[in-house]
Parts: sequence; C-alpha cells; structure tokens
Amino acid sequence: MKKKTVTLFLSVLILLATILAGCGSDTSNGADKEKENGNDVVTLRMMGYNPESTRATYLKYLDEKLPNVEIEFEFVALDNFNNVLNSQLQAGEGPDLIEVGGEAKLLAKANYLLDLTDEEFTSKYVESGLKPYMVDGKVYASPLQSWFEGIFYNKAIFKENNVEVPKTWDEFIEISKQLTKNGVKPQIMGAQSWEPMMKQSIGLVNNEFYSDEANRNFDEKFNAGEAKLAEEWLPYVEEWARVIDEGIITEDMLGLSYDQALDQFATGKAAMWESGPWAVETILEKNPDIELGMFPIPGKTEGDGWLIGGPGSALAINAKSQHIEEALKVLELTATEEAQKVLVADNAGSSFLEGVEVDLGEIYTDSEAAFKAGNVYAPWTAVWTSGNPIVEAYGKSLQEVLAGVKTIENALKEADSVNDNLRKTLN
Amino acid sequence: MYNKQRERVFMLMILPAFIGFIVLFIAPTAMSFFYSLTNWSVYNPDIKFVGLDNYKMLFEDVKTVSAIKTTLQYAILITIFQNIIAILLAVYLNKKMVAVNFVKSLVFLPAVLSILVVGFLFQYIMTSADYGLLNNIIQFFGGDPVNWLGDSKIAIYSVLVTQVWQWAGWSMVIYIANLKSIDTALYEAAEIDGAGKIRTFFSVTLPLLYPAVSFNLLMSLIGGMKVFDVIFSMTKGGPGYATETIMTTLIREGFNSGRNAYASALAVVFFIAVFILSRIVITFLNKWERKLS
Amino acid sequence: MSKKGLLGKISYIVGLVFISFVMFLPIYYLVITTFKSPEEAAASPLGLPASLDFSNYMKALDAMNYLQAMKNNIIITSVSVILLVFFASMAAYVIARSTKKIYHIMFAIFLIGLIIPFQIAIVPLYQIISGMNLMNTHLGVILVSVFCINLPLTIFLLRGFIHTVPIELEEAAYMDGCGTFRCFWLIIFPLLKPIIATVVILNTLAIWNDFLTPLLFLQSPDKAVLLQEVYKNVGPFSTNWTSFFPMLVMSTLPLVVFYIIMQKRVIEGVVAGSVKG
Repeated sequence: MKKKTVTLFLSVLILLATILAGCGSDTSNGADKEKENGNDVVTLRMMGYNPESTRATYLKYLDEKLPNVEIEFEFVALDNFNNVLNSQLQAGEGPDLIEVGGEAKLLAKANYLLDLTDEEFTSKYVESGLKPYMVDGKVYASPLQSWFEGIFYNKAIFKENNVEVPKTWDEFIEISKQLTKNGVKPQIMGAQSWEPMMKQSIGLVNNEFYSDEANRNFDEKFNAGEAKLAEEWLPYVEEWARVIDEGIITEDMLGLSYDQALDQFATGKAAMWESGPWAVETILEKNPDIELGMFPIPGKTEGDGWLIGGPGSALAINAKSQHIEEALKVLELTATEEAQKVLVADNAGSSFLEGVEVDLGEIYTDSEAAFKAGNVYAPWTAVWTSGNPIVEAYGKSLQEVLAGVKTIENALKEADSVNDNLRKTLN
Repeated sequence: MYNKQRERVFMLMILPAFIGFIVLFIAPTAMSFFYSLTNWSVYNPDIKFVGLDNYKMLFEDVKTVSAIKTTLQYAILITIFQNIIAILLAVYLNKKMVAVNFVKSLVFLPAVLSILVVGFLFQYIMTSADYGLLNNIIQFFGGDPVNWLGDSKIAIYSVLVTQVWQWAGWSMVIYIANLKSIDTALYEAAEIDGAGKIRTFFSVTLPLLYPAVSFNLLMSLIGGMKVFDVIFSMTKGGPGYATETIMTTLIREGFNSGRNAYASALAVVFFIAVFILSRIVITFLNKWERKLS
Repeated sequence: MSKKGLLGKISYIVGLVFISFVMFLPIYYLVITTFKSPEEAAASPLGLPASLDFSNYMKALDAMNYLQAMKNNIIITSVSVILLVFFASMAAYVIARSTKKIYHIMFAIFLIGLIIPFQIAIVPLYQIISGMNLMNTHLGVILVSVFCINLPLTIFLLRGFIHTVPIELEEAAYMDGCGTFRCFWLIIFPLLKPIIATVVILNTLAIWNDFLTPLLFLQSPDKAVLLQEVYKNVGPFSTNWTSFFPMLVMSTLPLVVFYIIMQKRVIEGVVAGSVKG
C-alpha cells in the first residue's frame, strides 16, 4: 500500500516535470534551429537601452558580415536597465554584449567587464570617446556614435513671429518672451520626467563653466568628494533658472510626460523643445510637414553654444561571457568606417573613430559651429562615477524648484549629498 | 502503525510546497535581513559587516523618510476612502434588480484590469496637455484646469483616486455578501423602534459588517503599503519626490543605484512598518469585536 | 406616500446612472480613443469616432508582438495556477487534518508570507533564480509566482475550507483501506471544488496582471508577457498616443472577456476569498 502511494506520488511529479520541461524548452528551440542550418552558429545576447529600431541597420549589417554569429537583441527600457543588468551580472549571468553608459566605470571596477585595452580596435578610437569607459588607464568598452541634445525649434513658427535663433542666453529669454507675447508657447517640456530640466540646465553650465579648461578637473575632484556642485555650479544654474522665473517653463509642465511634450511640439503647439536626434523620426511621423531645426544651448556671451552629450553609449563585453571570441569580432567590425556610418544612419550622432566624418543633415545646421568647436559635454556620463543616480536626484530636485518648494542651491546640495552617500556605500 | 504510515505520506504531501516556499521566499527574505547589516552592493563584491549603518543612513536621508511618510499616508487614506465608498456602494446596491446587477458588475470591472494599464490610462486622462480629458471636462463646466499629476501637493491624491476607482468594487462585493447574511428581522425590529435609516445603519448594519470590515481594512492597508505599479505608470515618483513610496525607493536604490544593502535595510523597515500598522488595526478591530459581543 | 415613493425611485435611478457614469467613463474613453487619430481625439475626446478605424489596432498588434506575448501570458498563468492548486491543496489538507505540531509550525511559517510582502526578498531572489539557471525562462517566473508570491494565501484559503469538510467521509474511506494519497485525490479533492474555483480565479487575476515579476525575470522579447510589451512602447520611442491605447485595451481584453463570461463566479470567488478560515 505504502509503496503504491509513493509510486503514484512520484509519477505525478514526473508528469509535472515533463509539463514544466515542455514550457521551459522554449529556450533551446532557437539553438536547435541554428544547428540545423549548418555549421556552428553562435548566439550572442546583446542588451541595450536604446530600442532595436535605433540599431536596426547596424544589426542587419552585423548579420550580413558575421554569418556565424546570431545576435539576439534585448531591449530593456532605461528605467529598469540597470535593474535587470546588475542582477544578472551579479549572478554571473547576463548578456554577452552590454550597452553601457554612465555605469561603465562602476561595472568595470566590479570586474564585470572584459578589459579591452590590448585589443587592436580600441586604438582606432579618439581619446575623448574612450575616456568615459576607462578605469586606471584601462579601456572597458568601445564607443558607439555620440549622443547629443540641443533645442529643437519649429522654423515656421520662428519665421511667422519674426524671431531668430538665439546667440546668447539673454536672446533666448528675449525670444521666448516675444513668442509668449504673440500668443505662442515658447518652450514645451516634459517635466514629469526629471531629465529635460537637468540636461538643459547643464547645457548652460557647459557654456559658462566647462568651457573654461581650468574647470575641467572639477569632475575628478567631484568624484573624490573634494568639490561640490553647490559651490561651483550655483551661479550658472541660477542663471538657467530664469526660464522658470520668467514663466517660460511653467509648473503645469510637471504634469506632462516626455511623449506628451513631444506631441505638443510636433503638432506645432510650442515653438521649442529640448531633446535629441532619436526623437526626429517620431516627430516627422506625427507631422511630416514640420520644418525642424536644432540649435545649441547659448551662453551668456555670444559664442558657438554648447550641446549636452558625449559618447552616448558603448558596447562592453561581459567578462563571464561564454563567447568572448565572437563578441570581440563584433566590436572589431564595429570599429570600421562602414559600421560607424551604419550606426549613424539610425540615430544621428558623430563617430569617435579616427578620421570618420559624418554629415548630420540640415536639421543640425545651427549646431554645426558647436560641433566643430567640440562643444559637446555631459559631465555625468563622461567622468562621474555614479552619474545617473546623482543627476536623477538633481533633476528631481529641479522639479521641486519648478514647483516652488526648493531653491536651486538646495537642489545642488541634494545632488552633492547623493554623491557623498554613493561614495560611502559603493567604495 | 497505520497512523505512522499516514504521517509519512502527509510529510510527502506537504514537503514540495514547503521546500519551494523556504527556497524562494524564506531564504531570500532572511538574506535581505542579513544584507541589511552589510555593505553589500552589486558593484562591490566583498561583503563587510557594517552594523546598523544602513539604517542610520536611511533615517538621515530626508527623501527616504519622506517616502516612508508618503506610503503610510497613502495606505491609511486608501484604507479609509476605499472602504467608506465600498460600504456606501454596497448598501446602495444591495437590491434585487436587473439594473442594479448591471451596475454592480460595472463597479467591479476595473478590478480585473491590470494596475499598470489603469495607471497609464489615467496618466492620459489627468495630463496637463491640452487633450487631458479631466481638465477638458472641468473647463467645459467653467472651472480652471488642475495640474493633477504635476502639482506636488495634489499628485499623490490623484494617484489615490484612481486606485479607489479601481478597487472599491472589489471591497464592495465582499460587503454585499456580508450584508446578504444579515437577518432582515433585525431591520424590521429597528423600524418598529422608530429608528431612522442612518441610525439603523450605525446600530444594526455596521456592527454586523464586522467580518467584512476587518478583512477589507487589512487588505487595503497592506495593499496600500505595497503600492508600486500605479506610481510607476503615473508619476514615476515625481514631481520631485512627492509621490515616492517605499517600494519605488527600494527599487531605485536597490537596483538602479546599486545600493543593495541600503535597499535591504529599507525592506526591513518596510516589513516593520507593515507589521506595526496591521497590529494597530487588528487591536482596534479586536476592541470593536469585544464591544459588539 | 406614493408620490414620495416615486420620487425616491427616480432619485435612486439617478444615483445608479451617476455611479455607472463615473465607473464607465474612463473605460469608454479608453475604448473610444483607440479608433481615433490624435487630432480627432483632441478635438472631441468623448465624441464617437468618425469611422470605425482599426488601423490603430493593426499598428499595436504589430508593435507589441501580440500573439506571442499572449501565448506567454497563458503559459505562465495556467501552469502557475495548476501548480498552485496541486501543491497548495495537498499542503492545506495536511495542515487541516494532522494534529502533529510540526505541521502547525509549517503553517505558521507559510503565514509569514501573508504578512511580509514578497517585494522585500526581490534582490536575493534574483540571485537564487539566476543560480538555478532559470533566469529568462518561463519556469523561473512560474516558480516565483507560485512559491514566492501566491502560495501562502492559497494554502490559507484551502485550509479554511477543508476544515468545513466533515472528517467522517475520509474516515470511512480509510476504513475501506484507501491510502492517504489516493483518498485525498479521489475523495477530498472533488469536494473542494468551490474553493478551488475561488483559488483559480484569484490567482489567475493576480498572475495575469503581475508586472514586476516578469519585468525582473524575463528579458528576451520572445518570452515577454503582454504588460511588458505595453511598457516597452511607452516613453521616448512611442509614436501616437492614440495608438498606445489599443495596446492597453488588448493587454486587458483576455481578462475582461474572462470576467464577462464568468462574472458570477469571479465575484463569488472574491467573496469566498475573503472569508476567514
């Protein structure tokens, strides 16, 4: 009797296991198919926070050039990207190729990324493209095209209202007022997200602070906890805050998401909107007739202006990957002029490969001078160790500034304290 | 002999569930408690004991403390509002009529939708963009538009309203079932005593709703403490930190910033808060029960 | 008197209409917007669409990989619910019937899961699932849904119900020489039908609508569930908001249909789930 019960129990368990195996076996299906197709095709997992559509041409290109590598692209939205990635890496798992941004240094310090210093292809990139991914002189990722953000404007609205692209910050405020007077919303902002205000204000800091070579070592000191944002950045961020004082960016924009702001700009309900090239396709889809331009954020004195940006993201190799050899081939191929052009085709930006010139197109004519002068910078991705959490705290505090419950100084202090906390906990 | 064999089979029957539970719930929970006393981080593989440092840091961090406060406030308010509205609806809709049945099903309907979907929907309804439905309605009646999700004083209440809208029906059906079990003779007696409708409600109905009230209060309280999906889809914790809750802070610090030990400490605080709060409610309910009998 | 009665009736019906209005308006808005272009939706948010234009749906179907995601949802939900019923009913039976102390301790441990939200265990849980090599598999999500999230309440409900089943029935079966295990599945389990229905309904709702677990444990697009697909289409890369709405509709449609067909059962299930054991 007893035996019978146990046998029955076991058989039910086995049955269940078979059912489970059935639904788990989805995993292996892909691999089987490839084997049928012929010689050893290696599947590489690539995880990125830019969606597949922004890499489509590049992925197709890789597919053609590397027949024995199959790339499985996984898009994880930025809000959760670190979430998902970190836990996988920590468990000794994770994708073979990782799109890294601001966290690259931390990941490298924790030995999650493969050291690429001695690979031949890294030497083909210019120094500024590699710097964000270097720890103690070693390179841990190879840069994709740069990213940048400036201020999009609707040329037709500018023409109708007789305003020109501003050359100074004062002019920027001036034309905004002029547009308001004419009943046009000058600038829309999806301030429900903490990013746009954070970026735009840093645009002014770029102009006034980072343009001075002497201040470039601020970021290293900031990493070491020796310099404070609240001391160095304050006057410039306060200058930026005039857009709040003058009622150009208004409290109701805190109720607008990024998509909703984009929608308002694309449909001509506002003259300007801060964002980057990745938005162009959507804008044109919504309004194919829009005359689009982008100008850099102007400074107090007339100049070329500055964009916010840098080596947007890069590809790193998981140090624990099973297919390091193939992953290296992908990076090797990426370091060719052809591949770089393919990358830029989906998402405008410049290349960090030496000797590659990219023509961005007429939308960016007003920003050309800034590009030529190399006026593109984003301190939190370029140098800061824990850039993202710090700018998140800063951006969220700016929301509170816009809501009228915090001062600029306190917003910067908040970012400083997050920096301190992270240095304490992560080191 | 016979019993012994039965016990052995019993053990076989309960063990799969128990082992699964230990491995996938108790162990990770215990690990969280353990990690909260260390400096563990995804970026920092060598683990060191740091005592109560994480807890100290947590209570010194204004943002985290305010997130805890917001969560408590949210949980208490949603418990009150959801249940008051659910009881009112239950009393109102406790009738046998085809139309009433239809309304009942309608009131319950949002509860089968995912919170995430409801959050996204209301994010569009409450947006300050000019197509925002809610503001359009207000303006149609001559009012001024309100910045539902962008005003730091209002945002958390806007979120709360959507959740009351979504879950009141769930509580309501439980109250209705409870109401049905109340003996109608009691109402007749109250009527003979000359009690008005409102007095009857407080002296007859409410005390007899005790079982449903106790269940619903605890459920909405614990559910309110865990609030995450709706914040995630509607405000992302903003504007500023106005709608950050314990769960959103935990996810942000634990995963996005890589401060896992800190997040574990917050998880422990979270557990203590849920525990204390439900204890208070249970004590209150017990007192009420004693008064009733 | 009769006049007052009539007035009362009318005001009652007005009340009903008001309640329906408040409950239905957002859902009406959601559905109606799916047929409009952004311009049309902005011009008359509540008006009927000019034409029954399904192009938004076609776009959404494409963008969210609908059939695959739905299949994933069905696999995860159905396997989880079956496993829950299987494991929890046995465990609950033992807890309800045995007088041995060890089972009561086990029950007390299960009950911890009712008080402690599983979210506190997320970070280590992630390590455990990875360690079992179940990351990015449906099985991983299923195991978490079953054992980490939904097991305690399921056992609690089943145990409460088994207490109400008269013990004499099994005693008689035992006398006839029926083994414990068989006796449970042949005699007791069929008697649990009402509470099994409750458990199935509550867990189906909970698992189908769970967003956090798949978000954390599934990464490949071909394994993603409906809510992940919806979430993927929000944010910087979305197109028209009116083509986002069909995704909201389609991700919830299966459960709404389930509710409309099984309405009475669902509500009964919710009620039964609230009765303390």
